Amino acid sequence: MAHRVDHEYEYLFKIVLIGDSGVGKSNILSRYTRNEFCLESKSTIGVEFATRTLQVEGKAVKAQIWDTAGQERYRAITSAYYRGAVGAILVYDITKRQTFDNVQRWLRELRNHADSNIVLMMAGNKSDLNHLRAVSEQDGQALAEKEGLSFLETSALDATNIQKAFQTILTEVYHIVSKKALAAQEAKANASIPGQGTTINVAETSGNTKKGCCST
Amino acid sequence: MNNNNSRGEEHQRNKESLDSRINQTLENVQGLLKGRSIPGKVLLTRRTDQLHDSGLQEQSPTYQRSVSHSDAGTSDDMDKSLEGGVRNTNNSNSNTVVNKSRSSKLKIEKAANEVQSSEMGTRATDSARVTKFSRELSGQTVILKRLRELAWSGVPPYMCPNVWRLLLVSSELSDLGIRDMHHLRRKRVEYLDCVGQFYDIPDTEQSADEISMLRQISLDCPRTVSDVAFFQQAQVQKSLKHILYTWAIRHPASGFVQGINDLVTPFLGVFLLEYLAGSTDSWSMSDMPSEKISDIEADCYWFLSKLLDGMQNHYTFAQPGIQRLVFKLKELVSFICLSDFSVLQLLPEPVYRHMENQGLEYLQFAFCWFNCLFIREIPFHLVTRLWDTYLAEGDALPDFLVYIFASFLLTVCTLASFVLNCFTSFHH
Repeated sequence: MAHRVDHEYEYLFKIVLIGDSGVGKSNILSRYTRNEFCLESKSTIGVEFATRTLQVEGKAVKAQIWDTAGQERYRAITSAYYRGAVGAILVYDITKRQTFDNVQRWLRELRNHADSNIVLMMAGNKSDLNHLRAVSEQDGQALAEKEGLSFLETSALDATNIQKAFQTILTEVYHIVSKKALAAQEAKANASIPGQGTTINVAETSGNTKKGCCST
Repeated sequence: MNNNNSRGEEHQRNKESLDSRINQTLENVQGLLKGRSIPGKVLLTRRTDQLHDSGLQEQSPTYQRSVSHSDAGTSDDMDKSLEGGVRNTNNSNSNTVVNKSRSSKLKIEKAANEVQSSEMGTRATDSARVTKFSRELSGQTVILKRLRELAWSGVPPYMCPNVWRLLLVSSELSDLGIRDMHHLRRKRVEYLDCVGQFYDIPDTEQSADEISMLRQISLDCPRTVSDVAFFQQAQVQKSLKHILYTWAIRHPASGFVQGINDLVTPFLGVFLLEYLAGSTDSWSMSDMPSEKISDIEADCYWFLSKLLDGMQNHYTFAQPGIQRLVFKLKELVSFICLSDFSVLQLLPEPVYRHMENQGLEYLQFAFCWFNCLFIREIPFHLVTRLWDTYLAEGDALPDFLVYIFASFLLTVCTLASFVLNCFTSFHH
């Protein structure tokens, strides 16, 4: 039975991790999906992805997270992977000013290639290296407010805010999607079809998913 | 190639013997990836060999390994590229190199002494192979064609530096102006000049692009084959930076692309064998005289350049060369999995279907294979063996990669299908 649990989810959300080379995208992914961190991780070539199923407001949500190569050269390949993404976490390195300055370029990139409704979050990674900090938290916060993004400082190394970052963005995505679903339901209801069917499964599935251990 | 027709024909032959079906499929696959040279010649003709002794062999019976008809074309092309130190006899298959060009360090006596060396791998160093290599390398002239064939199945590790240089220098480096080993020494000086000219200059004299390239290289050098501690040594890191930056500046069409850093490591690992003993993990660059380090750095640079010359479009914008090969890989794997060739089809098919159903794109997993030439997929101590074959393939390498990766993928699929079958039958 246990092997089935992971397959049971109600929503599948695709999230992309973007940002300059070396800011820690791959380690954020491995910390979140496998609770692993590797100081000597290799550069990502092309794209990689991993998944994790979690609970968002009582629903089982499977997050499919795409980790993309940071180097400019891979843009042509990786931009194809924005397709279908409902969320993007834009990562910079708090110890490297340039990676923060490039956030604008990444936003432009997203506007050109991603869905216009994509939920964005900005993460200032490597917060454990506070003594080497080159970007203040206020600067990050100010830019996030200006661009209308949610913002967190994270550390894949000591796991600070990694869960929270994904939980935040996935919850935000869920709200948008469920609002749409609600609107669709209302539309259906207006056409005099009762739309109560879906709620019945919820208790069962969430009960099962709690037992899942494969992904942790 | 008219794929459907060939497969249609196969349907009609269903009742014929397995032998002829195997041959038909192999021919189809050959046709499918029709090119100037058939990269899979060895794989394909080997099987044909076993079944058909008289088959495709057109070559001299002294060859260890049979060669398919396509090979004549390859060697003709090779002949044209040979200059200077390389002599052609009337026989189009006997490309020869004047043997004096070998590095004096690598005399056969030394080679013979090291035969007993305990750290050698088993397969590539069994005494018969060592004898064959020694015989090939000790004559007045080295017959490249035969050296290639020997090298294809693995070079004894201590002979690698010499054999790799011969494979790279003698046949196809002519376009780089390297004709023999003496010339290589001049190239080493040229390389050092480049490093002085491009690398050892103050930041203020570098353009913004150059600075950002250097930044990317500095970021990736420490992430190069990070599971082998040797590559983290300060001197190795410095050499890597020199090599990669010089290469990037001199190849502006692509510049540095992540993953190229990995491609330097096999050359470093092999050329250092001339000076450092024991396993790679126990090596220390501090045991090396500095002029030797710069020689090796220069050789790595030139050989990296040579290797990548045939793959420029793998690293230019949108990496069309890799996209093309990934497409070919998909075609080849689909063909094998869906053909009527039951032996192959039987096992990987369920996993193949699963991949299809899940919408898994080849670009998602095979891109990195082509980009880093499989270095990341196998343990580093096996990489040299794989590269023996790569270098023996020469210009045909890019297409040949498709076959290597297809066979890897099919093997994995077969294993996975096997596990899947066991699992399902257990549950029933």
